[in-house]
Amino acid sequence: MDFRFTQEQQDLIDAAKAFFDGENTPERMRKMAAGEPTTNLWPQFAKLGLLGIMVPESAGGLEQPLVVMAGIAEAAGYAGLPDPYIELAGITVPHAENDELSGPIRRAVRSNLRPYIDAALSTSNEAVISIDPLRNLVKAQGGNDTAIDSINFHGAILTAAQLIGLSKRMLDISVDYAQTRHQFGKAIGSFQAVKHHLANVHTQIEFTRPMVHLAAMKGGAAVHNAKIAAIDTAMLAAESAIQVHGGMGYTYEVDLHFFMKRTWALCGEWGDRNYHMKKLEDYVLNGDAELGPEHTFKTHVMKSGEP
Amino acid sequence: MEIQYTSAQIAFRAEVRDWLAVNTPKSRLPSFDTADGFELHRAWEATLAKDRWGNVNWPKAYGGRGLDLISWLIFEEEYYRADAPLRVSQNGIFLLAPTIMEYGTEAQKARYLPPMASGEEIWAQAWSEPGAGSDMASIRTKAVRDGDHYVITGQKTWSSRAVFADWCFALVRTEARSARHKGLSKILIPLESDGLTRRPIKQLDGDPGFAELFFDEVRVPAENLLGPEHGGWAVAMATAGFERGLLLRSPARFQAAAARLVALYKAHKDRLSSSVGEQVIQAWMNTERFCAATYQLVSRVQAGASISSESSANKLFWSEMDRHMHRTAMSIMGAQAELESGLDAVDNGRWLDGYMFSLAGPIYAGTNEIQRNILAERVLGLPRT
Repeated sequence: MDFRFTQEQQDLIDAAKAFFDGENTPERMRKMAAGEPTTNLWPQFAKLGLLGIMVPESAGGLEQPLVVMAGIAEAAGYAGLPDPYIELAGITVPHAENDELSGPIRRAVRSNLRPYIDAALSTSNEAVISIDPLRNLVKAQGGNDTAIDSINFHGAILTAAQLIGLSKRMLDISVDYAQTRHQFGKAIGSFQAVKHHLANVHTQIEFTRPMVHLAAMKGGAAVHNAKIAAIDTAMLAAESAIQVHGGMGYTYEVDLHFFMKRTWALCGEWGDRNYHMKKLEDYVLNGDAELGPEHTFKTHVMKSGEP
Repeated sequence: MEIQYTSAQIAFRAEVRDWLAVNTPKSRLPSFDTADGFELHRAWEATLAKDRWGNVNWPKAYGGRGLDLISWLIFEEEYYRADAPLRVSQNGIFLLAPTIMEYGTEAQKARYLPPMASGEEIWAQAWSEPGAGSDMASIRTKAVRDGDHYVITGQKTWSSRAVFADWCFALVRTEARSARHKGLSKILIPLESDGLTRRPIKQLDGDPGFAELFFDEVRVPAENLLGPEHGGWAVAMATAGFERGLLLRSPARFQAAAARLVALYKAHKDRLSSSVGEQVIQAWMNTERFCAATYQLVSRVQAGASISSESSANKLFWSEMDRHMHRTAMSIMGAQAELESGLDAVDNGRWLDGYMFSLAGPIYAGTNEIQRNILAERVLGLPRT
C-alpha cells in the first residue's frame, strides 16, 4: 500500500505538464479562437513518446497504468489543451488492435457517452458547434452506454482528471486576479468573502484528486463517484472564478472563459452527472453494495481468521 | 502507485477483527459525558490497553505495537465496523500524545504515556478562554515562575470532558507583558489541584460535556512544562495540526455512519421523496473521498512528508461532510427525528445525538471560517486580512 505516484511516474507526468504548459499558452488559445494558424503539436506528441504512454512495452510503448494517464490528463486540463491528445492516447490507443498501433489510428472508439468528437478523430462530417471556441466537433458514431466497460471507464476517468486540472487552473487564475485587482484601497483577495470562495475550491480539489486516482486503480462504483466529484468541483471552481473576476470574467478580455467553457463541455462528456448518479442509485440504494469502512481499498476477499 | 494491502496487513486486520468480535461491548455504552458513562468508557480503555489495542501506532515501550499509520487506519476501520465505543481518551491519545512524542523529554514520555494508554489518566484540553476563542493568541491565563513551580491564575473554557477527567494540557502566558503568539507555554496540570475549580457546562444534549476551569494560584511543578518555555505557540500548533489533520477523525468513523445511513434510508424508503436518495448517495460518496484522500496523505507522511496546511482542508471537509450526513438522517426520520429515547425513537436517538454533535464540528478545533482564512493565506498566498 503506497497510494502515491512513484518517482518515475511523477517524472513522466511532470515532463508532460512542462510540455503542455510550454506549448499551449493562452496566446496559442487566443490565436486558435481567432482562427489564426498555430503550432501543430502532433509531431511533438509522437516524438516525446506521449502517444505511447499506454502502449505495451512489446509494441514500443511505456505501458503505464491508467492512473498515470490520469496524471497526464490533469496536466492537459490545466493547460487547457484543445488538441484531442488525451482521447487518442488514453482511450483510442489502449482499445486499438495490435496491428493498428504501428500506423496512424483512424478508428475512434464508440460510445453513446461521448456523442460529439473532435473532427480530427472521426470520419463523420456532421459538424456541431460548441460554445468552447477551441473544440472542433462532429457527431460521433454511437456505441455502448449501458455499462462501465473499459472504454467508458477510461473516458470517465480521463475526463474527470482533466476537470481537476481545469479546476486548479481556474483557481490559480482567480488567485492571481484577486492579488492584483484593488478596490477600497486594497487587493480584493484580502477580503474574507473572496478568500472563502477560493478556499472552498481548493478544498474540493484536494478531495477529488485522490478519488480519481483510486477510481483509476480500482474501477467499479468508485468511477461514478470520481466523475461526479470532478463535475461538482469543476462547476464550483468555474462559478467561483467568474464571481471573483467580476465583470472581467464575463468577457474575452481575460482567459478564464477558455477554461470555464472546457469545463462545461467535459462535465457532460463520458457520462454526465445523471448517468453516474443513476448508476450509484442502483449500486448504493437498490443493490447489495459493500458499504462500511473496510471496503474502500479492499482488493482481497477476507474471511475472519485468515490467513 | 500501489493500493493492495500486504499479507501482513491483511493478517493484522483479521487479528483486530477477531479480538473486537470477542471483546466489544454488546450494547452501546452510555454517553461518556455522564459520570457513569465516563467510568465505563475508562474501563473500556483499560480493556483495549491490556492487549495493546489502544494505540497500535505507538512505540511498544509506551503500550503500543510500533505499527505504521496504514495499520492504524486498518485498526480504525475494524474498530468502527465493530461499532466499538467512542474513545474517552481521544484528547490525550490523539492530540497530546503526538505532541509529547515530538516535544517531551524521555522522563515525560515515560511518566505520561503509559497511564494515558491504560485509561488511568484521562486528559482534557484547556486552551480556549472567554476572551480567546477564534483569536487564540489573545490568551490571558498566566503562569508565574516561583522557584521550581509555576503559579497559574486565570480561566479556561470549553474544556471537553474536563468535568470527569484527571489532567489537562493548558496553553498559558508564562512571559509577563508578552503579546499575542509570543510568551506562551504548554503546561500539564492535574485537575484535582488546589485552587482549581471546575464548573460543568451543559451541552445541547443536556450532559456536562464541557467544563469551565478557574485557576486561582494553582501551583504546578516546573517539570510539567511541555516543550520550550515561552515557545508554546509552536507546540500548540503541532497539536492543532494533529487535531484538524489526521488522527482525531479517521475516515472509518464516517464510513460506518454512511453505511448506517443507507440502512436508515432503506427502512424508510417508501415515504421518502426521490431527492433524499441522492443526498444519501452524496453522503456515502463524501466518506469514500475522505478515505481516499486520507490514504494518500498517510502514504505521503510515511514517505517522510509532514502535515501542515492539509489539516485545514481536512477539517473543513470532514466537519461539513458529517453535518450533511446527519442532516440527511434527520430529514429521513421525519416526525421521529425529535425523539431522544424510548418508544418510537429511531436507534434510541443516535442520529439526533450525532446531528447535534455534527453541529460542533465546524466550530471546534478552529472554526471553519478560520480554516478558510488559513488556506487562503498560507496555501493560496492571498494577503492577510
